[in-house]
Amino acid sequence: MLALGKSTSPAHGRYVFRTLAFMSGYVAVNVAAIFGAFDDIASPVAAWALALTVSAPVIGQIWATLSLMRESDEFVRALVAKQFILASGLAMALASVWGFGESYAAAPHIPAWMIYPLFWACFGVIAPFVKSSN
Amino acid sequence: MKNRLKLLRVERGWTQEQLGQALGVSRQAVNALETEKHDPSLDLAYRIAVLFARPVEEIFDNPHA
Repeated sequence: MLALGKSTSPAHGRYVFRTLAFMSGYVAVNVAAIFGAFDDIASPVAAWALALTVSAPVIGQIWATLSLMRESDEFVRALVAKQFILASGLAMALASVWGFGESYAAAPHIPAWMIYPLFWACFGVIAPFVKSSN
Repeated sequence: MKNRLKLLRVERGWTQEQLGQALGVSRQAVNALETEKHDPSLDLAYRIAVLFARPVEEIFDNPHA
């Protein structure tokens, strides 16, 4: 997810730990789904519970990133916030273009949850070019 | 923002890591200040001024002066 060079600050350490924990949960739930653990779910309530369960680690990882900003010094906070905002803007722009492509140009459907990996892809593209908080 | 932070740090023989510890910020923050990639908050500028026992404007150029 997020790399800050050779940073070993306590805030960055907590971020790495939290991200690994949430992503481990994410992988575990999805592997269980792939191997059919949830194939017998029939009721809408249970289906939504599963959707929330799969989403929870993603929400947790977003919280971990926001916590990194809150717990870091002013430079790291400003830099990560700037990268986060630019990546969010780019991801929303791409998702909007594709969404209208689906509506008007018969583009193949992409599930809405793809916004999350798309956001981190955008973050990865933007971060090397944003090294100043100014 | 132009500044004399690196000069003052080197005069005292401190590393960026040591200065960061004295100020309560990361080494990256010190590097960003020295390379003008971060304008310090008023709070951090005053902390730096106290540490080096100099007025803020002797360390950071006032771009509006």
